[in-house]
Amino acid sequence: MLARRVVVCLDVQGARVVKGEQFVHLRDVGDPVELATRYEREGADEIVFLDISATADDRATLLDVARRTAERLFIPLTLGGGIRSADDVSLALRAGADKVSINSAAVSRPAVLEESAARFGSQCVVASIDAKRDGDSWRVYTRGGRTRTELDAVEWARECVAHGAGEILLTSIDRDGTRTGYDLELTRAVVAAVDVPVVASGGAGSASDVREVLDAGRADAALVAGILHDQATTVRAIKQLLASSGLPVRAVA
Amino acid sequence: MFDYGAGNLHSLIKTLEHDGARVEIETDPSHAARTDALVLPGVGAFGHAASRMASGLADMRSALRDGLPCLGICLGMQLLFDGSDEGAGAGLGIFPGRVRRLEGGRVPQIGWNTIENGDDPLLDAAPLATAYYANSYVCRPDDDSCVHAWSTHGIARFPALVREGRTVGVQFHPEKSSAPGVELVRAFLREAAQ
Repeated sequence: MLARRVVVCLDVQGARVVKGEQFVHLRDVGDPVELATRYEREGADEIVFLDISATADDRATLLDVARRTAERLFIPLTLGGGIRSADDVSLALRAGADKVSINSAAVSRPAVLEESAARFGSQCVVASIDAKRDGDSWRVYTRGGRTRTELDAVEWARECVAHGAGEILLTSIDRDGTRTGYDLELTRAVVAAVDVPVVASGGAGSASDVREVLDAGRADAALVAGILHDQATTVRAIKQLLASSGLPVRAVA
Repeated sequence: MFDYGAGNLHSLIKTLEHDGARVEIETDPSHAARTDALVLPGVGAFGHAASRMASGLADMRSALRDGLPCLGICLGMQLLFDGSDEGAGAGLGIFPGRVRRLEGGRVPQIGWNTIENGDDPLLDAAPLATAYYANSYVCRPDDDSCVHAWSTHGIARFPALVREGRTVGVQFHPEKSSAPGVELVRAFLREAAQ
């Protein structure tokens, strides 16, 4: 039986993991290779590096970081942020990523999903969708939540899959950073609309929020970031809660 | 290691090097077959990989039939079968049967799945209770007696590990299955060294 996953996300700028509010007041929280391997030991099922670099130099550095990480990390690694073409996907995979997440570029040119899936397989193409509530539906935003589009989030998720995405990384802009819990309604709507795995993101404040989005929210995986970096909880505690609630998880010795 | 194109080989190379094995990356399939142990990694699509393998298919097949130890991972396992619904081209045919689309749950299957009914020396050496999968296709052997472990996705049960002599195929990614997966690769190397 397929286990539900706890995915740990690290914001990486150049060679460092950083943390900040809305991309300001960035604070250095450590070395990506060290943090990624530490989370593997704690029981994380996957690691995501979100590239928040502003410069080309930083991006080149990140590929080197991915290479060094892949040599020591023995769970899957996803790279996201700034991926615009199948050639970018190729660079990320060759550097050591197992999957690549594509966000704004897919909205401006959905064919980038098709081109990437054709070359590398759907299993490594993740469509990242930032959604914000708009009346009784959800709107897709791009460029890190700054630009509103005309796309309906549920409809767009369906379209991404039709274009070749093998997984959806779904972030609620309304909940992101609030620690008030994931958007269960949004998650359920997207899970029902597509037949690929859905990773829910945005709003985790506690281990029980993670349980809620995997249980009532029906997500296949939950992305966790801030609460781990702040040591509000641990991957181990989250997985223990999931297991004791009867959800299938990977046990870690 | 036969490198047939795209994808991340870093973790797998590091896993193999753990025990002091020297890893040669070969893009020529005939050269790849001249080794102490062959690894077929698991990235890409069947049609593309089969076309890269075509020029050395006969050499690789006869090396495996002569007892060259081989570990095929994910797509690498699928290449050990006759052919695939995913794409054109011939596989190595070590295992009679065909690769078919996984039906039964969310596809691609991405994540950690339970290893069931494990009955193989490699699984005895490596305590792999759950393993990481990323696949849309699975192997369907003509005869299930080559299957030495299973997994289940939704309603579909599929082979997790197949073996014919010294040729082993695993549908999961041991190099992405954390410490127990790394241990399985080491067990393969120990077996190959015997």
